[in-house]
Amino acid sequence: MSELPAAGSRRPEASLSVAVGARVGVASWWRTPTARRYLFGYSLLTPAVLYVGLLVGMPFLFSLYLALSDATVGEPIARFVGIENFISALENATFYTALRNTLVFTLGAGILKGLLGTSLAFLLVQPFKGRRVVRALIVIPFTLPIAVSVLGWKWMFDSQFSVVNWALSNLGLIGGYGSADWPVWLGQPGLALFSVMFVNVWRGFPFSAIVLLAGMTSVAPEILEAAKVDGASFMQRFRKIIVPMIAPILFVGSAFDTVFTLSDLSIVYLLTNGGPDGATEILPTLAYNTGIRAGALGRGAAISLFLFPLLLPAIIILLRTLRRRQY
Amino acid sequence: MAAEFAAGAGHDIIYNGSSILTRLYYKNLVDLTDVADAAAKKYGGWIPAAKSLVEVEGRWYGLPIFYILAPMLYRKDLFDANNLKYPDTWELARVAARTLKPKGHPTGIALSQCNDANLFWRSMFWSFGGTEATPSGDAPTIDSKELREFLKFAKAIFEEGMTPEVFSWDDASDNRFLASGVGSWIHDAISAFLTTKDTNPKVFEHTYVLDEAAGPGGLKLNVGEPNVWAIWKFSKNAAAAKDFIMAISESQKEAMTASRGYNMPFLRDQYKKPMPMLGNDSKLAALQEQDKITAFFGHPGPMSPAAQEVLTTFIIPDMFTKVARGTDIEETMKWGVGEIRRIYTKHKAA
Repeated sequence: MSELPAAGSRRPEASLSVAVGARVGVASWWRTPTARRYLFGYSLLTPAVLYVGLLVGMPFLFSLYLALSDATVGEPIARFVGIENFISALENATFYTALRNTLVFTLGAGILKGLLGTSLAFLLVQPFKGRRVVRALIVIPFTLPIAVSVLGWKWMFDSQFSVVNWALSNLGLIGGYGSADWPVWLGQPGLALFSVMFVNVWRGFPFSAIVLLAGMTSVAPEILEAAKVDGASFMQRFRKIIVPMIAPILFVGSAFDTVFTLSDLSIVYLLTNGGPDGATEILPTLAYNTGIRAGALGRGAAISLFLFPLLLPAIIILLRTLRRRQY
Repeated sequence: MAAEFAAGAGHDIIYNGSSILTRLYYKNLVDLTDVADAAAKKYGGWIPAAKSLVEVEGRWYGLPIFYILAPMLYRKDLFDANNLKYPDTWELARVAARTLKPKGHPTGIALSQCNDANLFWRSMFWSFGGTEATPSGDAPTIDSKELREFLKFAKAIFEEGMTPEVFSWDDASDNRFLASGVGSWIHDAISAFLTTKDTNPKVFEHTYVLDEAAGPGGLKLNVGEPNVWAIWKFSKNAAAAKDFIMAISESQKEAMTASRGYNMPFLRDQYKKPMPMLGNDSKLAALQEQDKITAFFGHPGPMSPAAQEVLTTFIIPDMFTKVARGTDIEETMKWGVGEIRRIYTKHKAA
């Protein structure tokens, strides 16, 4: 019978055996199939994490740093100014116009793209002769270089030579050039905002249609046939069967579209540059003109970061709904 | 430019057109005072407006190469047929616009967020005695009786002589407006004159040029679009870059010929008559003394970062747009002065 060690005495051999045992345990855990699965999984995930971290996380943190500093394009050493740049944006009357226009632009264009994209997807899902060709042609607006397509629209909206106006005038729907009812598409505040939204919709709704089409083709025809036999109307089939089944695709598509529309600088920049008198000014153009063209990087970054609280709730709601549906 | 600066690498020479950023970047640009002095010595000095673009604390951090002038272009046939005096004052230009608009020949100056709007309305405003900032460029001087008077004039000339088209114009719209035969007069670069020559010879035959219209006190100021070259401090070829810029500066006669009179020089001797393309064209000959009436953004101050921000955010043309659309003059002043003061305060604090 062995003796119990006295209180306070040390048994180095016992501690050693525990430590060695733990090390052996850890070492053996790494050889288990679970550990290997984890390792493999994380190895596959690493490039995506690095990609998101470097290309999204880093620029976001950098813009946050700029927004909290008095950085200018020509001053390498910036001073911490707290939330001064955000306050400055809130003191700028044009900021509120830009914020309102950004919301109208994003919501208006989003709703129109949703409606038109859905209608187009329903048309394209029907079997008809030449369907493949039409499906290929329909994405042209989305695939054309943005500068080329927007310059085309700039001509169509020209105050003097607009083909739209001349066509309407020749049809007798509006007066001649110079008359009071001759629309100045990019010059009248309401029309100008409508025009930039219209071009965004024209460019983006094929994308919505293709996303919906991809979802619709994944709905088994038998289910729809069965619902039809049971007397479900078109709207009932759409609301109760198609939308729930393609919801994940719809949510991801909507999230993408919201981000793209909210941060779209090119269309407004090329068509109106925010004018006339700020009628089409949106946060991206204001941020660009302040931060890059005027060189006030800190204030430009702060203006652009106001997009973040607008986007974040929308994306969180979309992704949470998506996750709930998956469970 | 911002990307090259942040990276500390890129081109040796950088070029600024319209938005001159030397005051933003001067700490990172090569001091070109020696090149500027050598050019001045050789060519009789710089025109008065040149140094406002590139001088910081007595040193030159860029070399002005050329600017684009913007004269009055008018249809002589329409003026003659209606017994109108040629538009060498803004008041005469207004009378002509008021007379010719009902006859299908309105006038137009862009009231949108484009470069032309920034340039040409300033020409008018400054000819009315208005200024944008103090001579040092530290503070805005926009809250003035001259601006209030000019806003009344701007509203009147829009209502009497223009159409809402001008709210949508880009920098080339007025060229097309003149070349189409509709416009009675425009205030634009001579590209409009040259475009009309190329596209509508019949209208071109009757299109004439005046150096600028004068304000009520006889003052003439033409806001040119400047172009400047500079060299990064990180350049490994600064000596060669300096030589290159000097050579370009010395070649302005050739540049004027190649640009059909569009590129106006900054060095005095390059104004010796006859100037290339201008001196031998009776319609353009009046532009050979443009050096005396040219000014740039921020006038009479330098093109400071604050003036640059006022420019890129289109506050001044937006003020004219507001009154043209019917906003009360005092309300417009409150908005514009507030925005401009806010910008100057931010830059002063920085």
